[in-house]
Amino acid sequence: MGDGTQMTAPRSLMNDMGLSNQNIERRQKIVGLDAADLARIKAMQDLVARDADDFVKVFFNYLAGLDEARPLTSNRALTDQVQRLKREHLIAMVKGEYGPTYVEQRVALGAVYSKVGIEPRIFLAAFHQLLRAMGTAIMKQFERAPMDGFETFMSIKKVAFMDIGIIVDVLIYERERVIRQQQEAIRELSTPVLQIRDRLLLLPIIGVIDTHRARLITDNLLRAIRANRAKVVVMDVTGVSTIDSKVANHLLQTVTAARLMGALVIVTGLSSDVAQSLVALGIELTKLNTVGDLQGGVEEAERILGYRVKQLVEPAASSLA
Amino acid sequence: MPVPILKQGEVLIASIQAALSDRDLAALRDELADRVGRFRIRGVVVDVTALDVLDSFASRTIRSIAYITKLRGADTVVVGIQPDVAFAMVQLGLTLDGVVTALDLEEGLEALRLIRRDALGTG
Repeated sequence: MGDGTQMTAPRSLMNDMGLSNQNIERRQKIVGLDAADLARIKAMQDLVARDADDFVKVFFNYLAGLDEARPLTSNRALTDQVQRLKREHLIAMVKGEYGPTYVEQRVALGAVYSKVGIEPRIFLAAFHQLLRAMGTAIMKQFERAPMDGFETFMSIKKVAFMDIGIIVDVLIYERERVIRQQQEAIRELSTPVLQIRDRLLLLPIIGVIDTHRARLITDNLLRAIRANRAKVVVMDVTGVSTIDSKVANHLLQTVTAARLMGALVIVTGLSSDVAQSLVALGIELTKLNTVGDLQGGVEEAERILGYRVKQLVEPAASSLA
Repeated sequence: MPVPILKQGEVLIASIQAALSDRDLAALRDELADRVGRFRIRGVVVDVTALDVLDSFASRTIRSIAYITKLRGADTVVVGIQPDVAFAMVQLGLTLDGVVTALDLEEGLEALRLIRRDALGTG
């Protein structure tokens, strides 16, 4: 499992987040960006080029006043990098091009925020200050025609809100990365298929079974049946506390698929609660081979495979610790 | 492409090599039904290892092969269903009820031997 704060290249992060060309176009539609907006925005290129440094300063001065932003503002090299990215952002914001390259830059910036632990609310507050400074400058330029100034500012705001959407998505996505990694680990750990005798597999299932996991279990089992040339599988569900009709259906599918590959599945460890609820639900389980507990299931499997386990007259000395 | 059918003692082995048209499948069914009687066959192995799809018609035909040969005095074992195919079939509800399945040709022949042994033992 990788370090949760490790920075991913913006491009691959974009792919992971599903920021495809269609998605980007959709985002432009969502904020309502149209041709009239683009024209108004592009007219602001000179103004933004002139004042970009001031706007960036407003943004960072505001962050500097917040304790929560300390990890970013106290790191000189990082601050320089982010200031440079932010300045590029402002210039790009009025270029009128909001395709993949633009979004990639936003994602890169978002990844830096995430790395230093800037929360969405902190970023939003500072970004609001920046927009305010920008709005003030625009209104000054349109002193004679305040409505035009307002329209222009609102057009820029559409882009700004698209940016906010992307940055917040990056922050959330990065924060959920740890959760995803843990889920992945749990999934991998929780579906082992073990060979306990020649041609006999053990499949212990623990925890909650959902559709995704059921698929994974079936997949693992079918592959293991082929790899180990298994004839009998003991599926132990002692660790599954509740089985509803959906889960029962998943288990039946697994059993049936294994049978198609020539393996017999014995289900063990259905607790009395589970057994009662299955019967109460009226789930058709006549196709299932069930044995009370794991030991019984293994013994039954051994009998089917023609094994006979015989206890020696005396236990081995190695049992005497 | 017709399916080659090999005779090995009392057993017929039909090894499907490529995706089959519905007509090929029907021809395979008819051919097996005929040869089982003609050569006094006791077991049939249908090997589907090479197939990466088994649709509803194929499943139904294979099941009818098993039932038909049973009526003609031979047991049928289907072998070599791949993991992905098995899963897809289950999702589609094609479960080959009442048909004996085995991992591969070797297992299939072994299964036929055991079926014969039990039949002779009890009969």
